[in-house]
Amino acid sequence: MRSAIPTIAEAARAIAAKQLSPVELTRACLDRVHKLDGELNAFVHLTEERALGDARAAEAVIMAHGPKGPLHGIPIGLKDIVDTKGIQTTCQSKLLQGNIPDADATCAEKLAAAGTVLMGKTTTHEFADGGPSFDLPAPPARNPWNTKHFTAGSSSGTGAGVAAGLILGGIGTDTGGSIRGPAALCGIAGIKPTYGLVSRAGVAPAAFSLDHIGPMAWTAEDCALMLQALAGHDRRDPASAARPIPNYTAQLGSGIKDLKIGVIHHFHETDHKVSDGTQRGITAAIGTFRDLGAEIREVQLSPLQDWLACGSLISITERAAAYEEWARTRLGDFSERLRSRLMLGAFVTGVDYVQAVRRRRELRAELQAAMRGLDVVLTATQPAEAAKIDAVPKWDLFGPPNFTMPFNVAGYPAISVCTGFGEGGLPVAIQLVGKPFQEPTLFRAADAFEKATPYRDRRPALVGG
Amino acid sequence: MAEIKDEAFEFLIARAGLDLNNEQKAELKGIYAGIAAMAERVRKPRGRMAEPAHIYDFTEEDLA
Repeated sequence: MRSAIPTIAEAARAIAAKQLSPVELTRACLDRVHKLDGELNAFVHLTEERALGDARAAEAVIMAHGPKGPLHGIPIGLKDIVDTKGIQTTCQSKLLQGNIPDADATCAEKLAAAGTVLMGKTTTHEFADGGPSFDLPAPPARNPWNTKHFTAGSSSGTGAGVAAGLILGGIGTDTGGSIRGPAALCGIAGIKPTYGLVSRAGVAPAAFSLDHIGPMAWTAEDCALMLQALAGHDRRDPASAARPIPNYTAQLGSGIKDLKIGVIHHFHETDHKVSDGTQRGITAAIGTFRDLGAEIREVQLSPLQDWLACGSLISITERAAAYEEWARTRLGDFSERLRSRLMLGAFVTGVDYVQAVRRRRELRAELQAAMRGLDVVLTATQPAEAAKIDAVPKWDLFGPPNFTMPFNVAGYPAISVCTGFGEGGLPVAIQLVGKPFQEPTLFRAADAFEKATPYRDRRPALVGG
Repeated sequence: MAEIKDEAFEFLIARAGLDLNNEQKAELKGIYAGIAAMAERVRKPRGRMAEPAHIYDFTEEDLA
């Protein structure tokens, strides 16, 4: 193992060899939670008894019959917008205090069926939007690399929890970057799969046509192991794709010779110029891919601002529709940040929305054409290292465009991987984007990069990294 | 930069069913231009035949 905190793959191998007990592994995670989470706020609700019960049950089965798969006995967290039967699911909102779902979300059900150990519900922005808020029932998560800094969001608790080793993996959701953003700023891996690949059933919506559910973990390989359990058709989700599910780890380690990677230079060099540290990470990553045998090309798309306008109008409108009843009757119960976002819905007309959805079709066709002859495209995930948590602008929506929304608009899969550390000592990252349902190729590229670079060897100092 | 007249603003807020105080109204009015710019940006010369995204096929369940 490269660290005292194992990856999912490492833990799975040790559990299968009966060298690691799921109960011991879970207790080690719980010890870190008790030691660190007062500062990190990664959990809204810790399910300690459930975790130990899951771990004991897993251990008994494994000792008798061996593990049912690589997630058996692995401690994970679920973002608190994921319904959990009999366990409070608050979406970090005053509106849902005391809410106890009577059924699991499909993703929770699938991870439980794979034998995972549920450590608890992880911190989120309220209903997965709005930014870090200090006027909610629970405080925002903090970045394990420097707790004065933001994790990005909205899957903030899962990002912080994985980086600090409180959990080995977890569920995030992503409507405009909420998996990839925290993955980048917390220095972990996180994939937004192809739209429709992972069921959204039982997960609170942010914007129906942009919402994706996906895994976050220390490595791309771990994300692949989790996606294997999560992917698949679900009749409870009207947008669920009925497609065969490939083996997501089959291509790992097979190299990336002749992989064709297109770099969208203008996104991060012109449309929204990234920090020097982030640019250095991108440049070095391109060099690493070239050294590993990939062919590097340049890709030109519409300006990032076009993608953001399209995604934002859709997101604002779908969110306003989903939460209209509460916005009309209980607006004051939302945090200031989400309340402000919901109010924006008043300004988007029905025609504006349809024009945005027409633009969406054009933009997706553009990406499809640009990726002809390519396997992967590459750009930044975040513009820089994490900002201080009290310096995150409320109206970032109208600031420089983000790098993640284009792939929610297109529905294409995208993964964030760590490319090192910036001037402030905090992680920086790149984003790799694949063709629809080509997650195996993305994992192959991301895994090859991680294994060729030293960034998976270092954990945050507060966990002894 | 796009501006919105008080009357139009009040109409949109009322139509959305939002009950806002003066401070919230002032803040929202101040960022109207940002939304208007986005709405302008998604409008391109595309003609009447251009379909939106997400025109779905019938599913197996529809056909059963």
